[in-house]
Amino acid sequence: MSKARDLIGVAWTGLMARKVRTFMILLGPMIGVASMLGAVGLTESAKGALQVQLAKLGTNLIIAQAGGSFGSQNPTLPGDAVSRVDAVSSVISAAATTNLSGVVSLPVLGAADYYTAFPVPVRAADDNLPSVLQVPILDGRWLDRADSRLHLLSVVLGSGIAKQYGYLPGEIRTIRLNNTNFGVVGVLGPVPLDPTLDNAAFVPQWAARHYFGTNGQPNELYVRTKSGTTEATAADLPTAISLGGPDQVSTQVPSNVLAAQAQANKTLQKVALLAGLLVLTVGGLGIANVMSISVIQRSAEIGIRRAVGHSRSKIATQFLLESLFVGLLGGAIGVLIGIGAVYLVSSVEHWVVEIGYGQIPIWMGLALLVAVIAGLYPSIKAARLEPLETLRLG
Amino acid sequence: MRQNDSSDLESPTAQFPTIRPATVQPLLELEGVSRVYGDEVEVFALREVSLRIMPGEFMSIVGPSGSGKSTMLGLLGLLDLPTTGIVRITGHDVSALDDPQRSRLRGDVIGFVFQQFHLIPHLSALGNVETALLYRDIRPKDRRERAFDALDRLGLAARADHRPVQMSGGEQQRVALARAIVTDPMMILADEPTGALDSANAAHVLEIFAGLGTPERAVVVVTHDLAVAATAHRKVSMRDGRIVADESRAA
Repeated sequence: MSKARDLIGVAWTGLMARKVRTFMILLGPMIGVASMLGAVGLTESAKGALQVQLAKLGTNLIIAQAGGSFGSQNPTLPGDAVSRVDAVSSVISAAATTNLSGVVSLPVLGAADYYTAFPVPVRAADDNLPSVLQVPILDGRWLDRADSRLHLLSVVLGSGIAKQYGYLPGEIRTIRLNNTNFGVVGVLGPVPLDPTLDNAAFVPQWAARHYFGTNGQPNELYVRTKSGTTEATAADLPTAISLGGPDQVSTQVPSNVLAAQAQANKTLQKVALLAGLLVLTVGGLGIANVMSISVIQRSAEIGIRRAVGHSRSKIATQFLLESLFVGLLGGAIGVLIGIGAVYLVSSVEHWVVEIGYGQIPIWMGLALLVAVIAGLYPSIKAARLEPLETLRLG
Repeated sequence: MRQNDSSDLESPTAQFPTIRPATVQPLLELEGVSRVYGDEVEVFALREVSLRIMPGEFMSIVGPSGSGKSTMLGLLGLLDLPTTGIVRITGHDVSALDDPQRSRLRGDVIGFVFQQFHLIPHLSALGNVETALLYRDIRPKDRRERAFDALDRLGLAARADHRPVQMSGGEQQRVALARAIVTDPMMILADEPTGALDSANAAHVLEIFAGLGTPERAVVVVTHDLAVAATAHRKVSMRDGRIVADESRAA
């Protein structure tokens, strides 16, 4: 036991006697471990944020769209699609939107050319759309039954459009849709599951029929299902909507796309891990190189130690321990840097910090392994030195 | 205090129980030893040399360079093995031991002093002396005390924390002497111990040297300096790998 303690002491003193050199070779395992831990931590944190977002948005939303036969201009769903979908037992709620083609919206007078060239999509929407989407109203209110009953010319802006129009919260604003002025009553919050809604303006169904000539046939349906039935419902909805008729319907579960994004990060993670491993390996070469030179520089010390009774194996262990400490110390600092980096980036990006603490032993183990392998050759070389030659006797 | 410490140094038989001969037998014995270097062209560095070193002897080995002094030093110091012949240290055949055993024996029995002092530059004087006590069953506190006492005996207590570069050559050589005696070895083996010192320091170190011998301990100085050799009681002269003279004078 006392021998182990002596060895550790000798190795440690040897390292500390050359602080700059020791620091240089610490960098390899340090950066290697930091980047591996950071790679996993950052991708997991980013994924964690996505998963939190997914949990918040719910994975039980289906978007059903009119597929349309090939070549048809504006494919639509049957007019009673919502009531047909509502009849499906696994459906909680459904809301429809209708695309109003050819409507030009003018937020300000005088920019007609621009807004004609780049029309903002206008959609007729059901009163319950926000509750189906589970999206908050950022400002004011959504379209409601009062609009239909009183025939109010109300319009709600998507969050992206509100920003583009420079709409201020609570501002009294009218925008011109074709030749009719509509009053802005609210702003819909961002819809991560269907970002196209962010860049649309919404009018009540009655106004769409009255002013823009829709026939009550929607283009999209947003459907909430009971949890666990989403995939099956998505598969059955086309039949439920078209009832075997000519209308083609496609469905998608948008949360699957987000989930796939979370998966895609695995590739990035692997690349970053490999980069970290590469740094570690190159760092190992650095350790081997510097330690080999060190053995030559310290050949007199080795000779002295042999003369005062240290055996070859003690000398080898001494240098191997020095190398091991480099891996241990570099790895430990790397762990701290990696954790710090994950916390820093996560706080900037508003991610939920996920650090694979369970994997730290793996990264440390790798750093130690590389350091020990790197130290093997110099240690053996040190042990094989002949004290008679290094002490220059006689 | 001083009294206690030095007596402690002189009787550490509990620490080193291995090899205390009851009757007077040679400490170190070379029997028909040859050392040959080279594979294809054989160079005899030492040729059929026999030598006995007895406890209490103060011996010098002299000879011009190339006479085999260094080879002799390596063999006496257990740093090298003979090509033929037998080297016995306190009765053990050195060639029969493995490296850990031989290293242990070297650390226990022999104290080295070199011309170039050979202190470890990144260690303090105390650390250098302690190096000779590492890897033994000694508590760090006791090890430090013993090392400090050895330095104290050589008048270097105030220098214990100094590094080699902060000390004069004479002081460095005294640290090396402290390192050599801290294990209470049975043989001090010195290689030109005054070779790198000015005459004043050399005289001082030699004086210390002469006082290192005990009835149990042999002091062997390898040198080409005849003045140094003259201080010894026995002078072994070498030439061309052989012993050409072995003279003793009354102590």
